[in-house]
Amino acid sequence: MNNLFEGKNVIVQGITGAHGSFQTKAMLTAGTNVIAGTTPGKAGQEVEGIKVYDTIKDIQATHQVDISVIFVPAPYAKGAILEAITADIPLIVCITEGIPIHDMLTINKILKTSNSTLLGPNSPGALIPGGNKLGIIPADMSLRGNTAIVSRSGTLTYETMAGLTNKGMGQKYVIGIGGDVIHGIGYKECLQLFQDDPGVDKILLIGEIGGQDEIEAAEFIKKHVTKPVFAYIAGHHAPEGVQLGHAGAILGSDQESADNKTKILAAAGAKTANSITELITLVVAN
Amino acid sequence: MKLLEYEAKNILAEYGIPTPTSLLVKKGDILPTPLVLKSQVPTGGRGKAGGIILVEKDEELKPAIDKLLNLEIKGFIPNTLLAEEKLSTKKEFYLSLLIDRQFAGIKLVAHINGGIEVEVNHDFKSWPIEDKSQLEITGQELADYYQLPDQTFALQDLLKNLYECFIKNDATLIEINPLILTEENNLVAGDCKMTLDDAAAFRHEWNFEEQPAEVNFVTINPNGNTATIANGAGLAMATVDAAFEAGLTPANFLDIGGGANEETLLKAFERIVEYKNLQVIIINIFAGITRADEVARAIVAAKEKISNLPPLFIRLAGTNYEAAEKILTENNIAILPDLESALKAAKEVIHE
Repeated sequence: MNNLFEGKNVIVQGITGAHGSFQTKAMLTAGTNVIAGTTPGKAGQEVEGIKVYDTIKDIQATHQVDISVIFVPAPYAKGAILEAITADIPLIVCITEGIPIHDMLTINKILKTSNSTLLGPNSPGALIPGGNKLGIIPADMSLRGNTAIVSRSGTLTYETMAGLTNKGMGQKYVIGIGGDVIHGIGYKECLQLFQDDPGVDKILLIGEIGGQDEIEAAEFIKKHVTKPVFAYIAGHHAPEGVQLGHAGAILGSDQESADNKTKILAAAGAKTANSITELITLVVAN
Repeated sequence: MKLLEYEAKNILAEYGIPTPTSLLVKKGDILPTPLVLKSQVPTGGRGKAGGIILVEKDEELKPAIDKLLNLEIKGFIPNTLLAEEKLSTKKEFYLSLLIDRQFAGIKLVAHINGGIEVEVNHDFKSWPIEDKSQLEITGQELADYYQLPDQTFALQDLLKNLYECFIKNDATLIEINPLILTEENNLVAGDCKMTLDDAAAFRHEWNFEEQPAEVNFVTINPNGNTATIANGAGLAMATVDAAFEAGLTPANFLDIGGGANEETLLKAFERIVEYKNLQVIIINIFAGITRADEVARAIVAAKEKISNLPPLFIRLAGTNYEAAEKILTENNIAILPDLESALKAAKEVIHE
């Protein structure tokens, strides 16, 4: 999966939209090789000097595409992701928030038999400081180095990254897997990537209340991760049964609480914190 | 979005799933008895709370209607009552279709004993539903499990209709409990809970009593001394956690999301100042898709419009930070370098 995030040629689906164009500029500034973008019906336009095409197929007539970053609004996002899957794009990063669950179920089914890997949706994307910025993680708060972050939250990812940078600790990878109930790659795939990459020496896992993903991640850590893992689960004071912000963050049972997930991660060998500040302190000290 | 029983049953009926004969009831309505009168509130435990009345005689109807219209159930007063035919029940079952998060797919869940105490059971039977084509076999297995071999065709039809209803309506849960087998050997949906995916609202013409739940503003402790405003659910939760760790008592969780503008911030301030013990407001914004300068402008504008605003402790970072810093500084509003120092500064002004 390493090679996936380091893919060379990047396109932006939904490049002419407000977010698409703004973030394309930020991706270019960070040094990402954005070669083209799509918005149906807007072929021939340019955004930040990048050529706009109607479809991915039109781009592929003359270019190889390794990665697509999607900023298409939720009602059209399913079509955009399926277009990228059909075009055999190795890594699809979907930033879009608010995609209906049934659309994601259809996409997940098709993904299983495809040649594509999906990160997101409702994800800030991935950042390799000094390399690819695939999405909206602010690159100017990052620093090249040997830690790796995987998180379900967007802004909390930035907070963690900025906290490390402020202490002079750089990052090899910063990855947001997205806050939705049904999503593409998760903690396990990212932990495997971090474990296998000799450029990573410390792993930070940021979780939230709701669901079982962090509990499965703890099992994976116990069995397959030998590098030090530092974890923080947000929502220690969340009321039960109330959805907090995005769809995935709802505390269904005691098992899904921040306290319980923290306990299970600690039992799996992770060093755990009760706030981001404490987490950064732990990483610096260990 | 959670539907009321009558709304859910209307949808079931559209898809050919048998429901009891029913009518919506207003104060003063006259109907033939016997009938079952049911309060339409968006919560469970209605039967135990006295929200369902069997009306045997005509003269019992008026007092029953008056009683239910005034009966509060878990904080809800009904706008609507549902009158249904009294069914002759031979046996009750549990049946639901839902989206299972870990399995990342649709599951059919059943129990041979339905009714109000169903949640105490741990031996639910479930089937992953990968595709419509398997429903015939699943229907047969369900009939075996329910020990209703005579109802195999009816259950197969029921599953096909239920599945279509689930998909076409962007449902995340349809729970029929109880599924009633009548003395006449008909299967009827006795009660139904249905949840639809709010994210799919754009492709439906939904018009239901219950509005989509407000997920971005949640009160944690109405007596708290600290209000929190952050962007992104994770950061908002982490801000609450950090405030607790710093010895403050957070009153609320608030995720203002990606579109933080003057209007959203003003609305947030208006609600926050209602907390009677409020002494400080923590604003923690990490701009990614949000732009920090827009948030700064919104803070300045909103602050001017509300006179009794407690002191703000603001931490901004990310996209367009420099512009934001300039705007706030020009307006004599301090920005703190990180959340830790914002919390520390806030703690210093708190008095008991």
